[in-house]
Amino acid sequence: MITASGITKTYKQRGNLLGARAVPALRGVDFAIERGGAVTFIGESGCGKTTLGRIVAGLETYDGGDIVIDGTPMSSLKPRHREPFFRRIQLIHQDPYSALNPTRTIHQTLAAPLALRAKQTGRDKAWMEERARELLALVGIDPGYVLPRYPHQLSGGMRQRVVIARALTVDPEVLVADESVSMIDVSLRLGVLALLKDLRERLNVSVLFITHDIATARYIGGDGELYVIYRGQVVESGPTESVISGPIHPYTQSLLSAIPVLHGVERPGPERVVPTEALNEAHPDTGCLFARRCPFRTDRCEAAAPALVSDGDQRHACYHPQRRDVIPVEAVA
Amino acid sequence: MTRTSAPGVRVKDLTVVYKTPAGELPALGGVSLSLAPGTITGIVGESGSGKSTLALSLLNAVQPPGRIKEGVVEIDGLGDVVKLTGEELRRARGRQVGYVFQAAQNSLNPLKTVGKQLLDLGRSHDFDDLPALLKDARALLGRMGLDGGRVLDSYQHELSGGMRQRVGIMFALVLNAHLVVLDEPTTALDMITQAAILKIVRDVHHERGLTTLIITHDMGVAAEVTDSLAVMYGGRVVEHGPTTEVLGSPRHPYTKGLIRAIPRLSGDIDEARALPGRPPTLGTIPKQGCVFRERCPLRIAVCDTVDPEPITRDARTVACHAVGRLATPVVPKEYV
Repeated sequence: MITASGITKTYKQRGNLLGARAVPALRGVDFAIERGGAVTFIGESGCGKTTLGRIVAGLETYDGGDIVIDGTPMSSLKPRHREPFFRRIQLIHQDPYSALNPTRTIHQTLAAPLALRAKQTGRDKAWMEERARELLALVGIDPGYVLPRYPHQLSGGMRQRVVIARALTVDPEVLVADESVSMIDVSLRLGVLALLKDLRERLNVSVLFITHDIATARYIGGDGELYVIYRGQVVESGPTESVISGPIHPYTQSLLSAIPVLHGVERPGPERVVPTEALNEAHPDTGCLFARRCPFRTDRCEAAAPALVSDGDQRHACYHPQRRDVIPVEAVA
Repeated sequence: MTRTSAPGVRVKDLTVVYKTPAGELPALGGVSLSLAPGTITGIVGESGSGKSTLALSLLNAVQPPGRIKEGVVEIDGLGDVVKLTGEELRRARGRQVGYVFQAAQNSLNPLKTVGKQLLDLGRSHDFDDLPALLKDARALLGRMGLDGGRVLDSYQHELSGGMRQRVGIMFALVLNAHLVVLDEPTTALDMITQAAILKIVRDVHHERGLTTLIITHDMGVAAEVTDSLAVMYGGRVVEHGPTTEVLGSPRHPYTKGLIRAIPRLSGDIDEARALPGRPPTLGTIPKQGCVFRERCPLRIAVCDTVDPEPITRDARTVACHAVGRLATPVVPKEYV
C-alpha cells in the first residue's frame, strides 16, 4: 500500500540576469495505490504525470509532501535506506526502443537483475536461467527465440514485453507504466495492455498507469481510480468508470470530448466541451489554473483557486461542478 | 484567392520497391486507389503497411533506395506524376500538391523565422507578388486561430507543437495547392490539440474546395475527419469505402480485427480484442498468396497461393478470398 500526500516538485530553469525561473511541475498531489489495484494518471504533455510516475518509482526527488510505503514515510529514511522500498516499484519506460541496451542480448539484459535477486535470496545460476525463461513465457514471448537476440532484432511489441519481463525480475509489487503502448503498432497495443491486466490478476501487482489515452485506462484499470492532472494539480479523481461516464470538471470534459468519434459505430456525446483557447503554461497561477480556457468560467474562478472537494464517489476542484454527457455513444445500427 | 476545382487522383497498379541486400522488395504491391475530387480520404495502416510510401508517390518523391517500379499516378491537371521529372516535378510539388510531412512540427528550419522560410518558398516558385503571399499566409494562420503576424516573425522554438503543426498546414496550402496530403498530422500532439487541428483540416478542406489525403495509424483520427477510408496492410489496400460504412460494417477480416482492437469509452470494454500475430515488415511480406493470411480467422486453402484481387461492389472495395463468397474456413481460428 502506497500513499502520497501533498507531493510538490518545482524545476528550476537556468535563469537570465533577472534570476532563475521556477517551473512548478507538481502542486500538491495526493493519491493512494492499493495492493493489486490500478491507478491511472491522465493529462496532457507537461502536466506532470511523468514526473509523478518517476517520483513514485524513486527515480526523482520531491520538494514537499511525503510518500508512505506500507506505513513507512520515505522522508524518515536516509536515501540509501529507501532503496529496498522503491525496488518494489518498477518503472516501465515509454519507449521500448531506447529502454533496452542495444549492445546486450536479452539474456544479458535479464541476467543482471536476476543475479542480484539470486544473491539476495541465496539461489544458484540454474535458478536464474529457469527464472529468465519463466518470466519471458509469462509476458507471452518464446524464450528460446528471444534470449539470444539483440533488441534491434525484435519488434516494438516484443521489446516492450522484454522491458516488462525485466521489471518483473525483482518481484515488484507495483508496475509504473508510463505511456507504455503509445509507440507500439495499433494491432499489437491491446496485446501489451492485456498482458498488464493479466499480470495484475495473476501476480497481484498493482499498476500505476500513466497515459493521455483514457480509453486504454478503462481497459487496464476499469475497476481502479482515475486521477485527472492539469498543470501539476489533480482537478478530478474517482472510480475510472464514474469519471469517464460522468465527468464533473470542465477540463476532464474537454479531454473526453477531444477523443475522436468512430463515426459509423458511435455518435458524438451531446454535451461536448471545447476549451476556449490552447494550453498556455504562461497563464497566471492565481485562481483556477484552467479558468482561462474554461467555457464556464466566472469572475470567482480567476480570483481564488478552488479546492478538491468530494462529490459522491468523485472529487473535483471546480466552483461550477456539473456532470456532462460528453463521451461518444454507441450508434444503434 | 482563385478557386479552382479540386483535382481527382487515380493510382493504378502502383508497385514501389526498395533495394535491400536481399534484392528489391516491394513496399507497395500493385496498389490501385482513387481519390474522388473534393473528398477527404484517409489511409489507415500500421508501420510497414506502405501508407507513407503511397503518399510520397503522389509527389513522385520516393527516395532511393526506393523506386517506383511500375504503375500510374494520375492527378487532374498534372497528368501522370510518375512520368514527371526535374523542373516540371519541382514546380508541381507545392503548387499543385501540398504536403504536410510526418512530424511537421520538427521540419521547420530552426535558423530562419517562419516568414523568411515562406519568402524562400515563394521565390523558389517564382512568385512575383511576395507581399500578397505574406498576406495569404497571415490570413490562413488567422483562420487557424493564430496571430499570423506574430507567427511569421517567430522561430520554430518560439512555437508550440500544435502551432508548428498549423504552420506546416499553412505551408502546404499557401501556394494554393488543391490536392493536400497530410502524413500523420496529429501524431505526438495532445488530445485537445489534436481535436483542434482535425477541425481546422476539415474546415479548410471545405472552405477551399480541396481534395485531401490523410495518412494515419489511428483509426479514430480517420473516423473523425474522412469521407472515405482505405485500409492498408503489407503494401496493399485491403479495404476501401465510405468511412462510416467501413467502420460500421467492416468486411475485410483485418479491418474487423483492427476496429475490435480499439478500446472504447462506452460499452463493454472487454469486447476489445487484440489481433493475433504481428504485422509483416518489408522482408517478411509473403511473396505469394494473401499478405494477411497468417493472422486471419477466415483463412482458406486458396489464400496460401493466390493474392486476392480487390473486388468492388456498391462502392465498397475488398481484397479477400473469404469475403462475399460461400466458403468454409479450413483453419477455423478465433481471436484470442
